Amino acid sequence: MIEFRDVHKWFGDLHVLKGINLHVAPGEVLVVCGPSGSGKSTLIRTINRLETIQKGELIVDGMKVHDPRTPMTKLRAEIGFVFQQFNLYPHMTALENVTLAPIKVRRIPRREAEEQGKEVLAKVGLADKLYQYPAQLSGGQQQRVAIARGLCMRPKIMLFDEPTSALDPEMINEVLEVMRALAHEGMTMIVVTHEMGFAREVAHRVAFMDYGELIEIAPPEEFFARPRSERTRHFLSKILTH
Amino acid sequence: MLETFNIRVILEYLPLYGSCLLATLWLSGAGLAGSLGVGCVACALRTSRFRMLSLPAAAYIESIRSTPLLAQLYFLYFGLPSLGVPVSETTVGILALTLNSGAYMAEIIRGGIQSIAPGQIEAAISSGLSYLQRMRAVVLPQAIGITLPPMLGQAIVLVKDSALLSLISLMELTRAGQILTSERFMPAEGFLTSAVFYLMIYSALKTLTVWSRKRLIYLHTG
Repeated sequence: MIEFRDVHKWFGDLHVLKGINLHVAPGEVLVVCGPSGSGKSTLIRTINRLETIQKGELIVDGMKVHDPRTPMTKLRAEIGFVFQQFNLYPHMTALENVTLAPIKVRRIPRREAEEQGKEVLAKVGLADKLYQYPAQLSGGQQQRVAIARGLCMRPKIMLFDEPTSALDPEMINEVLEVMRALAHEGMTMIVVTHEMGFAREVAHRVAFMDYGELIEIAPPEEFFARPRSERTRHFLSKILTH
Repeated sequence: MLETFNIRVILEYLPLYGSCLLATLWLSGAGLAGSLGVGCVACALRTSRFRMLSLPAAAYIESIRSTPLLAQLYFLYFGLPSLGVPVSETTVGILALTLNSGAYMAEIIRGGIQSIAPGQIEAAISSGLSYLQRMRAVVLPQAIGITLPPMLGQAIVLVKDSALLSLISLMELTRAGQILTSERFMPAEGFLTSAVFYLMIYSALKTLTVWSRKRLIYLHTG
């Protein structure tokens, strides 16, 4: 479904992705962790070409993302992206936020899109917030709207870039709950997060990134019990102490 | 001093002031409409990724903002004919207001667009919305709310700047004051009356500005 072949990315002189090789199968849930600045956000942002790569090959759903001639709008419609800062449209209600792209990009009739939007918002527990504006919602509710916005496009892949990092602790679970349900439905997901409980429980594989390199990637049992690399061990010892 | 203030003369010249008020409104209105168009285009070029487009737009905006409107007006009025381009006073007047105000409008629009959090644009890109779709659905509805108050502020400046057009002998409110001065030697009455009419236009625009600011607050709190 997603295939990185020796992918490199530079920001000016800064080498942020140093030869990434990675294959994500359909239905797989991959959690990516690592210290800040390690390139994990950049990694998932290359998948829908929010960041362009400079070297290597990146194939997503059969399309060559590394090729500048590949039209991205069609592929992007197949990939839901959830941001750390939610990035909802502040001038639109929750329902308008989730129906915009289905109406404009998928060309679904408004009434149908709204039916579906209500359904998906109900699924993430926000049936009573359809006509609220983002400013009237809590962080956890906003992030669930953002997830619903991705789901309303009926995507093949969902990407999460630190979806709970900007949330107050008591709101983290309501968001993880939605993501857990999604994983159980068989959605292909890449989740950049430090929620190791979620990784342990939901992920098929966990990857550790440091300095732009994919240091280690393994099923969670193995990843947490017997990390092979010293850097992974060091990182895990720092974030698993509490 | 006040007993020498001649109200009767003002009443006598009121029809002249009326037609000059209309002229000021028409010149400013045309200039405002023109500057909105020029401003949008200049802003679009200025923010382009291509330097061939962004550099000329930046040069236009900066040269207008760094020189006096009077100099720009004289350049168009005396300069264009000397370059072999015959233009009427009215055309020169509207052109000067359009080009001058357009540069400021471009910057106001740019500020409005750039004030929209880049994350929202990324979200729209990620959903597969095209450039025009995200402009129409995400950027412009918010940018218009944000830019309306400063645009109305610029409209107020534009109305006052239109007084300079009296210098190329266009009939407008300030010119009416000059006429009263030269025909009856009554500069106090003449220019004070002009000022009252400017105040009326200002009050109307000011009311609109206050209203638009209130609307803006509604927009942001839902």
